[in-house]
Amino acid sequence: MMMIDTADLTKTYNGRGGCRGITLQVPEGCIFGLLGPNGAGKSTFVKMLAGLHRPDSGRAAVLGLPLGRPDARRKLGYLPELFRFQDWLTPVEVLRLHGRLGGLRSQETRSPAFRGRVRDTLELVGLSEAANRRVGGFSKGMQQRLGLAAALLLDPELIILDEPASALDPIGRYEIRSLLKRLRSKGMTVFLNTHLLEDVEELCDEAAFLYGGELLASGPLHKLLSGTGDSGDNWRFRLGGWLPETRAELNAEAGDALSSLLRLVEADESGNALLSARVADREQAGYLCAAFIRCGLTLYESGPEPNSLEDWFLRMAGSRQGGDPQ
Amino acid sequence: MTMYISATFKELTRKRVFLVTIVLTFVFLVLFAFGVREIAGMSEQNPVSPAERLLNSMVLTVLGLFFAQFLASFFVLFSAMGTVTGEVENGLLLAVAARPIPRWKLYLAKWLGHAVWVSVYSTVLFVSVVWTIHSQTGLPLRAEELLRGYGLFLWMPLLLLTLTMLGSVYLPMLGNGICAALLYGFALFSGLVEGVTIYEGTHPAIEKFVFLTGLIIPTDSVYKRSLYELLGGADWAGLAMSDMGPFSMPSVSSNAYLVYTVGYAAVLLLLGCRAFSRKDL
Repeated sequence: MMMIDTADLTKTYNGRGGCRGITLQVPEGCIFGLLGPNGAGKSTFVKMLAGLHRPDSGRAAVLGLPLGRPDARRKLGYLPELFRFQDWLTPVEVLRLHGRLGGLRSQETRSPAFRGRVRDTLELVGLSEAANRRVGGFSKGMQQRLGLAAALLLDPELIILDEPASALDPIGRYEIRSLLKRLRSKGMTVFLNTHLLEDVEELCDEAAFLYGGELLASGPLHKLLSGTGDSGDNWRFRLGGWLPETRAELNAEAGDALSSLLRLVEADESGNALLSARVADREQAGYLCAAFIRCGLTLYESGPEPNSLEDWFLRMAGSRQGGDPQ
Repeated sequence: MTMYISATFKELTRKRVFLVTIVLTFVFLVLFAFGVREIAGMSEQNPVSPAERLLNSMVLTVLGLFFAQFLASFFVLFSAMGTVTGEVENGLLLAVAARPIPRWKLYLAKWLGHAVWVSVYSTVLFVSVVWTIHSQTGLPLRAEELLRGYGLFLWMPLLLLTLTMLGSVYLPMLGNGICAALLYGFALFSGLVEGVTIYEGTHPAIEKFVFLTGLIIPTDSVYKRSLYELLGGADWAGLAMSDMGPFSMPSVSSNAYLVYTVGYAAVLLLLGCRAFSRKDL
């Protein structure tokens, strides 16, 4: 079963912004990353999934149930982006309130089993020691952890996290990443909306890229990064014997068209240089290697650069802007 | 529902503004009791007729309950003006509204949570003011009239609460607070104008103005009917309150009008539930 299944889901604000025609499937048991620059429509999409926004058109199902029905949110945990909990409550009281809102009866939230669940959840997010302190005195990071605890409290099958690590320090972010990995190993599906590409790179099995309210790409992350579908790969060449006049020799040897692909990344006084080029295929890289040798350079190392998510992100955004993605 | 009543109680009791409200209310009640005691003492030194004594106690009741309803109304305005948009703006509502609970239930639960504590606060004010006057000046009270007056005294802030909560779905917190306070003030003003102009006979234009104001915001009309009931209806109230300047009560609302206010509250609640259910948070 698809945990999230949308078809042509659209939501705009008086015809502007928002997102349009989003068709997306999130399979069970994976961590799915939603990427895109600011204003791409990510938060609008996430809020529709969480039942906070009403779509203009299209259809969507969460956990197999139509969007908007309270039942669809019964097994859904949600951490909003800019949220706050009631300053005047303690974390234990906040979780008890969310237990009630989640459909538990008053007696159930007072049962030893539920108390144990609250204790375990607070321990999971590292808030055990602050369990009975008022939320009003919490830092943003502690509030974020409490939000995560509230989302996890009722053992959801799907958890939607909107910028979960935005207010956390590096240690906190590491802990959240570890926690999300543990949740995946337990079979929970995680839908992650984040700006932190390293989180997506490390955690996500699948990802989608939104830009200008439209879905530009989605699928398994390794396929998005390797089978980029664009016109080539970045190659890197480490050379010896590089002199300032070598560039002109190389232009003559390899031809202007091929040579223009090359970019000098770094060079030192002893003649060591690192060049990169975006080539159409391996043959083109081979021609360049031959040209280096013919120019009397020593070729120490050559090969494709590993595809980084950042490059992919910039290329995707650049392709829509019509500019140079660098 | 009980969850939200309890949550609202925690919110009210754990905020500093609650302490300020309690202290200021206590100060008001103490000063009022002191004033009534002094006036009652003066009456004993300069004996007056029983009728005059009764009239004095009625005037004190009008003034005391006027300020009490004023306090209750501000309690409503400040506690409920940000119920929806305020909580959306500060992010409180996001995690709550994503839970599997229909929005209309959430709205009604919030209304009920506020209504319970507004009623408790209004009861404290009403009982304190009426008991003070009764014990110090001997204002005669009949259980039936007292209950009718009390019920209507509670109904007034509940009407204002319903209106303020509906406004909070559409307007930002501060804008809603100002708007609700202006409407309440408008109703109060029209009541005072009616009281002042009674000296120069009836003015059809003013009567229409007061009537229309009462249809838009019925708080003042309900409050005046509450006073009318408390002070013995047509037997005594007309006597006591026909010559009190702005506090005069030349007319009181009918039973049909009270039924209208019930419909008014029900429609406003329904509109609030509908608007909140459709609102993008």
